[in-house]
Amino acid sequence: MRPLTDEETKIMFEKLSKYIGENIKLLVDRPDGTYCFRLHNDRVYYMSEKILKLATNISRDKLVSVGTCFGKFTKTRKFRLHITALEFLAPYAKFKVWVKPGAEQSFLYGNHVLKSGLGRITENTMQYQGVVVYSMADVPLGFGVAAKTTQECRRVDPMSIVVFHQADVGEFIRNEDTLT
Amino acid sequence: MRRLYVGGLSHLITEKDLKDRFGKFGKVEDVELRTRKDEDGVPYKTFGYINIDISDVDLKKCLTVLNKSKWKGGTLQIEMAKESFLHRLAEERQAATEQCLKPPKAEDKRQKLLDSLSKAGVENFTMKAAVPGTEIAGHKDWIVSKFGRVLPVLQLRCQKGNKARTLKYDPSKYCHNIRKLDRDATVEPTPVTQLTWEVQGGDDDISKKRRGEFPPYQPPRPKKSRTNVVNSCNTAAKTKPSQIVEAVNPTEAHRFKNGFLQSTNQRATHRRGAYLNDGDVDSDEEIRRLVEAQQISHSALQQVSEDDNLEVVGFDYLKSGKKGRSEDKNEDDYDSADTDELFASRKPPPPPPQKKSAPPIPEQLTENNTDRRKKRLKRKGKAGGQEEDEEDLLDADEDLTCWKSSTTVQRRDASKQNCQTKGGISEKQSNEMADLPLSESDFSDDEDEDEEELDSDDSCSDSDYEGMFSNVTHLEISLADLQRLAEENQETSDTTAPSILSTGLEQKTNLPSGPTEQPAPKKGTLPEDILAAILEDNSSEDEQGRKKGKRKGVITSLPAFQGTRALNQGLDEFMKAQKEQDERRDVKKQKLDSAAQLNPRATTSGTTNQQKHTETKKTPESRHKDMEEQKRKGDVVKDMPATKGLKGTPSEAETVSSSSNSSSDDDGEHGDEKEGGKSLQAAVTAKASLLSSSSSFEEDEEKSTQDPVKAAPSTASDSDSFSSDEDEKEEHSLPRVSLKAEDEEEQQRKANMRRLAAVQQRQKEAEEHKKLIQGALANPDAQKAGAGKHIVFGSDDEDDEEEVETTSEISTSKKPLFQEGQSDDDSTSDEAPSNQNNRNIEKERLKPSGPQLFGGSDAEDDGDEKEDGGRFDIRPQFEGRAGQKLMELQSRFGTDERFRMDSRFLEDDEKKDEESEGKDSMTQDDEALEQERKKNLDILQSVLGSSQQTSSKTSSKAKTFRDVSSLHYDPSKEEHAAFETTADESKESKSARKKKREEAQKLPEVSKEIYFDVSGDLTTMFGLTKSDVPGQEENTTWDQEKEEEAGGQDEEPTLLSSAPTADLNADKEESAGFKFSFFGDDTETENKLTAEYKVESIQTPKASWQQDPRFQDSSSDEDEDEQEEEEEPTSTATKMREEEKETPSKVNLFFFHPEDIRLTEGPRLFCRSTQLENQREQWEERRNELRQEYRKKHKNARRKLKSSQQR
Repeated sequence: MRPLTDEETKIMFEKLSKYIGENIKLLVDRPDGTYCFRLHNDRVYYMSEKILKLATNISRDKLVSVGTCFGKFTKTRKFRLHITALEFLAPYAKFKVWVKPGAEQSFLYGNHVLKSGLGRITENTMQYQGVVVYSMADVPLGFGVAAKTTQECRRVDPMSIVVFHQADVGEFIRNEDTLT
Repeated sequence: MRRLYVGGLSHLITEKDLKDRFGKFGKVEDVELRTRKDEDGVPYKTFGYINIDISDVDLKKCLTVLNKSKWKGGTLQIEMAKESFLHRLAEERQAATEQCLKPPKAEDKRQKLLDSLSKAGVENFTMKAAVPGTEIAGHKDWIVSKFGRVLPVLQLRCQKGNKARTLKYDPSKYCHNIRKLDRDATVEPTPVTQLTWEVQGGDDDISKKRRGEFPPYQPPRPKKSRTNVVNSCNTAAKTKPSQIVEAVNPTEAHRFKNGFLQSTNQRATHRRGAYLNDGDVDSDEEIRRLVEAQQISHSALQQVSEDDNLEVVGFDYLKSGKKGRSEDKNEDDYDSADTDELFASRKPPPPPPQKKSAPPIPEQLTENNTDRRKKRLKRKGKAGGQEEDEEDLLDADEDLTCWKSSTTVQRRDASKQNCQTKGGISEKQSNEMADLPLSESDFSDDEDEDEEELDSDDSCSDSDYEGMFSNVTHLEISLADLQRLAEENQETSDTTAPSILSTGLEQKTNLPSGPTEQPAPKKGTLPEDILAAILEDNSSEDEQGRKKGKRKGVITSLPAFQGTRALNQGLDEFMKAQKEQDERRDVKKQKLDSAAQLNPRATTSGTTNQQKHTETKKTPESRHKDMEEQKRKGDVVKDMPATKGLKGTPSEAETVSSSSNSSSDDDGEHGDEKEGGKSLQAAVTAKASLLSSSSSFEEDEEKSTQDPVKAAPSTASDSDSFSSDEDEKEEHSLPRVSLKAEDEEEQQRKANMRRLAAVQQRQKEAEEHKKLIQGALANPDAQKAGAGKHIVFGSDDEDDEEEVETTSEISTSKKPLFQEGQSDDDSTSDEAPSNQNNRNIEKERLKPSGPQLFGGSDAEDDGDEKEDGGRFDIRPQFEGRAGQKLMELQSRFGTDERFRMDSRFLEDDEKKDEESEGKDSMTQDDEALEQERKKNLDILQSVLGSSQQTSSKTSSKAKTFRDVSSLHYDPSKEEHAAFETTADESKESKSARKKKREEAQKLPEVSKEIYFDVSGDLTTMFGLTKSDVPGQEENTTWDQEKEEEAGGQDEEPTLLSSAPTADLNADKEESAGFKFSFFGDDTETENKLTAEYKVESIQTPKASWQQDPRFQDSSSDEDEDEQEEEEEPTSTATKMREEEKETPSKVNLFFFHPEDIRLTEGPRLFCRSTQLENQREQWEERRNELRQEYRKKHKNARRKLKSSQQR
């Protein structure tokens, strides 16, 4: 477990900023304590200083997970967001997409969100903007990337994809073994 | 006329625009603009059709000119269009009519033929007095045959074998074959009426229908929904088509399998349109309609889904904004898509106003609806029981009683129940009417009551009615049943007394038999079943509700009910009061009234009531009697247990139940429920769960509150939970409320107690503090020396030890202590009181658990004190790093007490040490983390770029914001210096600017004046100013210098004939000197030239020349090298100048003062310092050089040109 390098931090922040913009600042600079990002097994964990200290007692090879996993760096050094980060990102999400109850399940099975399942969307969403997907009851369901702008979304036919699937809470079950 | 299509128009183009545009090419007759809009109403396409009278040439021109031209932001596309279909239609019609008008061609021909024949003397194909065989003139093929008839000659073609030939049939030759037709005149044609036939038949339906006499339309009757063994097959058969149609929905199909209901539980949206398919479903038309309705609803659904498909929200969208909505959605949000349908069917249609989400509708209505829903649930259970019974058909009596129970139950609520009761009644009637004549009367009684209720219900707003409609799913009761019902009602309405009796009897029998009749329903198993049951009830209800309007008209007299009312008037009053309460629950007065009315009721019901009361008092609910409402409600609630208790004794039960049935509906119901047995409870619980899941929050709340209560009286609580009427609800909810209130009260009480205790504790503590302080202050006076000594000696060491650890808190009081210690060493006990004081304080310090005098001090101190307490046990002196240091320090001085090391020696070190210790451990990590954080933030900033900066800027702005209104100028502050300076500067600058502006404005005027003044002729000026000039001219130095070189005087007359003075002479000399200096020999000619030139030049460029003479001066002697070229201009200029200088100076010394430097210096620029010969020589040399150079260059250039050409 080690702190992230500058490059890694940059990559990760770039990814996170797609979803929460400058609100990353609120994650890094928290009033309720010191929180930090740590890299372990190519995964980025977000934890409080307290947990960090506790985790130092565990040897590196035995440590499976600590804090909250935000995502992992792929072999190509890209950052991939994990669904576990949802809890931290959802409150700060700038662009949101609400999914109709009927399409909820489809999304939770890992499918993209179609226009027919789109219940509500934040205005002025740009194309390829990272969005947090909510159910109509405002329960965060996962991450996505807007495939169309809000304006386009109005016009496209019902079967076209409006949000690309990135991660969903269904992964907690589907990828239970790999999700740490 | 042509029709053109014009595409690619902008949306703003009007018909007139088009007309104008195309008017050039032809006469535009009609313009038709079409705009296509997307679902948002934004036009995305506009095109038009133009009917235009246009020639081909013009059309071509039009197309070439306008097609694909840009016009108002669009590219026109013009094409020929088909004719407008209307136009075409009109044309077609016109053509048709024309054709109709025109006689057909065949007729034409015939007419011609006839004409020509008539010409030949043939009339009506007969030629009188003509020999057969004579040909008719002009007509080859016509021949006169027998009887003078003119017949055509036929050419018959016949084929025999291979040869085909034509036979000519000449009628004249076969005239014997032809009979005379008109021998027996003409047969009279039979009239049309005689051609028709008549069906003889009786009065039965079919024959009537055959004759085309259809009975007036009767609204279809609901089907007998509840299963009657006999009818069930029929109904099943009947409803099959509908089932088939509706089997689209699998869940619904499933529901049908229950056999419990047919129908209707289509999706919520279907239900809206479902009232179309009321009545029998067996006819094809019905089925078709059903399908249509379904399709419509489907399409509507789709449309809806497409319409409000997408919702765009702003960044500031909040969940709380749409709470109600989310609440609604809560139900289905967490279920998978599979269950969507189920939910949709379970939920009553979303739009109708019954839900909590519809505030505008009167409270009562919503209450009604919720009640109804609840009731549905409840009834479902009962209906299940009934159903079973009916299916079994064990006993007619049983059925009757069962029905009774149901009816009595149904009477519960006035306004809402009616529908249900009727549903039940109709079912029952269909089943049992034939069997049990007695029941008819009873039923009618109930029915009448219901009727009245209906009336009252009708008086309710239409919205209520519609609200019910919105719930309508399907009509199940056949029209026949309804009619029968109505008839029976009318019949039985006359006999009031017996009906009353019968009701009484029935009711009596009703209750005891209840338990046997209502076995445990087996329904709670599947949610679908339950839903089906609910919906079934719902549908029947609504249906009834709809019927009620018609029925109301039929049934007018309601004597039976009045009879019953007369019997139990008091109870009715009570009921009314209750109703009123329903309407305005909030008003306390009403409640009081009702409470008041409760008393008479008690008297009327007499013993039973008393019994109830007595019993109720025993019940646990009786405690909440503090409030009046609660009391009242308690009474009402107590009714139920009363009935419960009475149930045990059947004789009493009869009376009670009768009263309760007629008066307080809920009582009766409870009784029924109880009788229904605890076996129901299982189902009940199931329902409860369903309720909790699907119904409103209130219910849930109530339930949760109820749960504890339920534990004690199980049946009662169950009945509570399933009470669906508003009355009941209220009555039950109120005890619940009271319970809640009680709970709350208890909680509050507890909380209060706690609070009080806390306050008391605090007070105690405060008192203790006071005491302590008092004691501390008082003690020094009370115990003096002895105690002080004792302490001094006893605690000497300890004191010393403590002193080392004493904290900052006591450091103030430590000084005296230290001194005291020293004094102790000196064995003087003078400072006993102070010692005492210190002692006290130390005591307090030593027992941290006890009350602290300085309890309000910082936590640090407390901690320190505790530490001290802890350290006191050990030898604390030299503990830790500080102690070590102290030890080292002290070790230098040995054990000499005088040099004992004090904490004061150590304090700074200690603190520092502590800090450093803390930091050593903390900072390492913290700093690292801090650094990391900063780094992260930096990276973040780099990632976010400008956005981050802007945000920080805004934050900084926010920080620096100051309230301007509260800002005051403070001269002592340096910052405020800015205010004064800026203000002054701005003023100054303003004024300065103004001035400048003014100056700028003034200046041109001044110059103009000057300009106009100066203008004048030289000659006149010369004439005027001769006398004044001389002195000045003589003064000039350069003139004198030039005089040496001055040539002959002979030029005077040539230049100015009228200038005789010496001044002029001098002038001439000067000019001559000039000429000489430049040209030497040819001065005379030059002079003439200049003189001529002078006259012209003076007038024109005066202004420029006057404005800055020096500038022009400089131009005069620029390059000596190019003197050749500039000779003439310079000379002229100088001439002019000299002249001018002379003239103004002579006239008025406006531009030059006497002895002006310019006058002395300026001329020097024009004269050579060197001699003329030298200059000439120089010039010659120079000229040679220049020539050579030029030639060289010329040669070079030529060479280059040549070389380039050669190449």
